Amino acid sequence: MSDEPTETADATEEGGAVVERERTEREFPSWERVRESELFVIAITTVALAVFPWLFARAPVISGVLQGYQDLATLIVIWGIFAMGFNLLLGYTGLLSFGHAAFWGGAAYAAGVFSTHVSSSPLLIILAGTAFAALLAWALGFVALRRGGIYFAILTLAFGQMAYYMALSPLSGITGGENGYTGVELAPLLGSFFLQYPVPGLDWLVGTWTYVLVGVVAVVCVAAANRILHSPYGMVFRAIRENDQRAEFVGLNVWRYKLMAFVISGTLAGVAGSLFTIYSAYVPVQSLYWTTSGEVVIMAVLGGVGSLFGPILGAGIYLYVENVISGVQQLTLPFTGPGEYVTLVQEPVVLLEGFGAYWHLILGLVFVAVIVLFPRGIWGLFEDAAGAVRRLGSDH
Amino acid sequence: MGPRRDPVDDRTKLYACERIPNEHGGEGKFTSRIESVRSGDGSPGRDCTDSEDDRKRLGGDGVLAEVLTVFINGLQQGAIYVLVAIGLSIILGTLKFVNFAHGALYLVGTYVGLLVTLEIQLTDGKLAEWGFTSIGLGWGFLAALVIVPIVVFAVGLLMERFVARPFYDRPDTDQILLTFGLAIVVQEVFKILFGGQSYNFARPGWASGPVDLPIIGAFPEWRLYVIGITAVLVAGVYALVEFTDFGLVVRAGTRDAEMVELLGIKLSRPYLMVFGVGAALAGVAGVVGGPLYAVNPNIGTEILVPAFLVVVIGGVGSITGAVLGGILLGETLAILVAVAPQWSQVGIYVLAAVVLLARPQGLLGSEEVTP
Repeated sequence: MSDEPTETADATEEGGAVVERERTEREFPSWERVRESELFVIAITTVALAVFPWLFARAPVISGVLQGYQDLATLIVIWGIFAMGFNLLLGYTGLLSFGHAAFWGGAAYAAGVFSTHVSSSPLLIILAGTAFAALLAWALGFVALRRGGIYFAILTLAFGQMAYYMALSPLSGITGGENGYTGVELAPLLGSFFLQYPVPGLDWLVGTWTYVLVGVVAVVCVAAANRILHSPYGMVFRAIRENDQRAEFVGLNVWRYKLMAFVISGTLAGVAGSLFTIYSAYVPVQSLYWTTSGEVVIMAVLGGVGSLFGPILGAGIYLYVENVISGVQQLTLPFTGPGEYVTLVQEPVVLLEGFGAYWHLILGLVFVAVIVLFPRGIWGLFEDAAGAVRRLGSDH
Repeated sequence: MGPRRDPVDDRTKLYACERIPNEHGGEGKFTSRIESVRSGDGSPGRDCTDSEDDRKRLGGDGVLAEVLTVFINGLQQGAIYVLVAIGLSIILGTLKFVNFAHGALYLVGTYVGLLVTLEIQLTDGKLAEWGFTSIGLGWGFLAALVIVPIVVFAVGLLMERFVARPFYDRPDTDQILLTFGLAIVVQEVFKILFGGQSYNFARPGWASGPVDLPIIGAFPEWRLYVIGITAVLVAGVYALVEFTDFGLVVRAGTRDAEMVELLGIKLSRPYLMVFGVGAALAGVAGVVGGPLYAVNPNIGTEILVPAFLVVVIGGVGSITGAVLGGILLGETLAILVAVAPQWSQVGIYVLAAVVLLARPQGLLGSEEVTP
């Protein structure tokens, strides 16, 4: 498996020559190697997550232009985990699931019910929700993976809907039916930190304890996903994506690897769903509806499948458009953004009134454009741009 | 026009199977809802206390009448599924194209049908803002039944040319993602133009009332028309595929497209036609289903999931399979609504799961045709 072309492609393309040169000098480990190392990925993720709420909600100028706010930052990280988990399946194993709402919503309900009846400790709630999602993913994957290709998409969609209707009426005694689950109880984190309180001394940077909890869990998830994808196990996923028949002939049990990819993906969705329960202290029944699965599909594809961070970026863009851009009244030229922060010398030209109402349509159109024109998504565009700059530099 | 119906009650009737458990508490009230659906005039606010009187008044009594009513309701429900699913199934079987935007064709059919049949008052949405507060041709239902298939057929042709064809060689997942995106765009366009609220698609005057059936008693006439129209159309499509040269080429292409082209038969035109016919059927489903269900921008995506289940149950590429799957699904739904309404929606998914575990290629699907 080690000579799988996808793995070596970008190393040879981007930095083969550089690696050779640095190796002869033997002073520092090469930048390429550092960039690929696990610690570096974790460190970058930690720093980015720590700075993100400040940049987004409180930094001068930037946050004024963006009009972000703390709660949205938390929500973006939660959905980022969900989209990243979803992408382990779509981007790395090549399976398109339209039923991930079942894991997100299922975990959210399980976490909520657990918090009321067993323990309201946030960490235990996350564990309970995640465990439920993992079991559910195993059961659904067992049935849905009986047929490959398009059937998988249709079947996951169908079973996701089944979960929705289960929560809506037969189980409404537990789930609260149409009203959603309202009885979520939250104890302080580790018995002493109230989640909605600001972090003493660091509240200018990260804000509340909820964000700290979400951020730490996100770092753990990124580290786990990164470890899996760079292990031989993750290589098999990619081999299956490229050609599952060939992988089968090599002697791998493709079905079992697919099931495991599905379970891992569902588990990460479950982590995100449990965090959502903690974040909102409420579980709407729509969290199980198939539009939720559709949203995470859009996020992952928009951000870029096939990269670890693309879907997180996609989640950020989607939620930003949904929550902030949707409030923009006018599309102007030059675009002044959601806030009144940018003042221009000239009055901008108004192109479109009631711009915000079109947010969903715009996302749909951008989504279609991405599929047709940039199958690697926005993250892929960034990578291409970075590659072009580097090639320009190496010419001189 | 028949008696004015309360649109809200109409909606609950339509989604009776989904909504009942949330709106009513006890078992007694479930049966009363079924009774009021059975009586066909959709009069609101019927209470469980007078359901016995209803039964006497309607004439039909006894278990047999009850069973037959459920059976015909199931047939009608299945008929809508069949119309949508046939297109999905033959497009998937012949063109190997997964169309998540098939529900959007149903949506287009419903709205075009509504505008051809009636004149409606718009209160919300961009069209109303632009001054079209009262639009629609008001030509009646028969006109819609002719015009809508033609319009949606044309939409289907455009879709094949500009959406499906460039993606025939792309992976399945790309096809699904593209058509899913397209479905969202279409839905949003309708939401922006007509607003998000539901419109009342009144049944045509000549079919709005109840009709007296033997044994059963009074039954909503429109539901019988839905079954009849579906039967005629399905027979027509079946004949087209089974007994014409065109159908022969399509069936041959389903088995082995490469071989057919090697024999010198160009497949691109038959494929175009298949897409158009499938689309037109979904459009007709929108017209005949419109008066049964609420008309809002979400109906397209709502019909898509059951339609896919029908395809999976019946077997891809098989018209008889789609009919069988549709009727099975409709009957399951109708029976569960009558017996255990809170399980009705879950039941159809259980049915699909059971069929799939027992016969992965679907009831009437053949191994070789499945993509």
